[in-house]
Amino acid sequence: MLSVKNIIKTFYDKKVLDNVSFNVQPGEIAVLLGRSGVGKSTVLRVLNNLETIDAGSIELNKKDIDFSQVGMLFQDFNLFAHLTVEENVILPLIKVASKSRRAAQKISTNLLAKFGLKDFAQSYPVSLSGGQKQRVALARTLAMNPAVLCLDEPTSALDPTLKTEIAHIIQDLAKQGFIIIITTHDTVLLQQLACTIHLMQHGKIIETATTKELQQSKNKYQKIKKFMDGK
Amino acid sequence: MIDKEFILEFYPLFIKGIAITLQIAFWGCLIGIVLGTVSGIILAKRVKILEYLVFFYVTIIRGTPMLIQIAATFYLLTFAGVSISAFWSAIISIGLNSGAYVSQIIVSGVNSVGRGQIEAAKTLGFSNYQIITLIILPQAIRTVLPALGNEFITLVKDSSLASTIGVYELTKQGEIIMSQTFDAPAVYITVGFIYLVITSTIAMGISKLETKLKYHVKR
Repeated sequence: MLSVKNIIKTFYDKKVLDNVSFNVQPGEIAVLLGRSGVGKSTVLRVLNNLETIDAGSIELNKKDIDFSQVGMLFQDFNLFAHLTVEENVILPLIKVASKSRRAAQKISTNLLAKFGLKDFAQSYPVSLSGGQKQRVALARTLAMNPAVLCLDEPTSALDPTLKTEIAHIIQDLAKQGFIIIITTHDTVLLQQLACTIHLMQHGKIIETATTKELQQSKNKYQKIKKFMDGK
Repeated sequence: MIDKEFILEFYPLFIKGIAITLQIAFWGCLIGIVLGTVSGIILAKRVKILEYLVFFYVTIIRGTPMLIQIAATFYLLTFAGVSISAFWSAIISIGLNSGAYVSQIIVSGVNSVGRGQIEAAKTLGFSNYQIITLIILPQAIRTVLPALGNEFITLVKDSSLASTIGVYELTKQGEIIMSQTFDAPAVYITVGFIYLVITSTIAMGISKLETKLKYHVKR
């Protein structure tokens, strides 16, 4: 289980994360929902050690988190532009995970085939569509076998058809046991996921509910419902 | 007059000069690339303390004429008791000069690589050294190749300044021939033409490399 406890992050005297706490079980999808600038992406950056926290703790299975266990899918995908699709996937495997080129290629071939990218292995990122780039980035992240998978605004660069596709992929990854944390303000994506929603405002989580709870209760979780209705 | 006789009589001197010029250019270029790349990374990544040293070095080099640098390096080294030939002293000063300019080119190249790629590399577990060598530099060099090409062409031409401390490179050989023939136009035209051939060859090579690398990325 991933356990985020009372994390605080300040940038130039501005508290961007103010006592943020939440837990995510393996196989669970946690969604950080909120408008731009409420601190959603900062939570993911902290989980990936791209920012350090000022206070609080992050634990994975009751131990201080080892950041190599966390993978990140960026909003802009951030593929390495000078490398082919296959090289993008195998380079971290060879240089970081110390796999042999052959073993890395095997992992890459399997993942690329799974995401329908087999024919693009030797293509460069510049020649791929947004959806293809995202799947390559996902393959590259999954190749490193993380326990926690962070997805920053995964639908922001995708058309509606691809949004459904990524929703299916995310749901499938949850079934495989990954701990998944997504930031989004895309309510269309939310309607396609079975997840726990944490609504954020001014660096705080102000309301939490599962999609099931939202459907079952009429009067509770008004803040999340209002956000989802675009109010 | 540039005729058959002139060429037959003086070509060994020209060949000697070309060889020295190419050696100065090669070693100067090598020092420039290594020093410039390291300095450029220090500046772009804002490495504490070292960035001030590099800034000081670049300021001195950019703010003084190369002729003065070549003379100062030779006389200061000699004055300090370092036994060094004019040839190697010229290479050191030309390399130092090139390094300062290459560093500025590398800074722009490093900054051209998106921050997102660097963050992606960090989250994948790459070390800082791996990020620089595997992600940043291969892309930065592609971006700055035309500017680097210009710098090396300038370096070949500036190697003629080594003649001022008595290095028998192409220009100096021309001066020697001129003192024998008193035919300044023939010598200057010949020397100029040789420089043109050398620099055009470098320009063509860089251009080919650039096309190849661009194709590699855009395919």
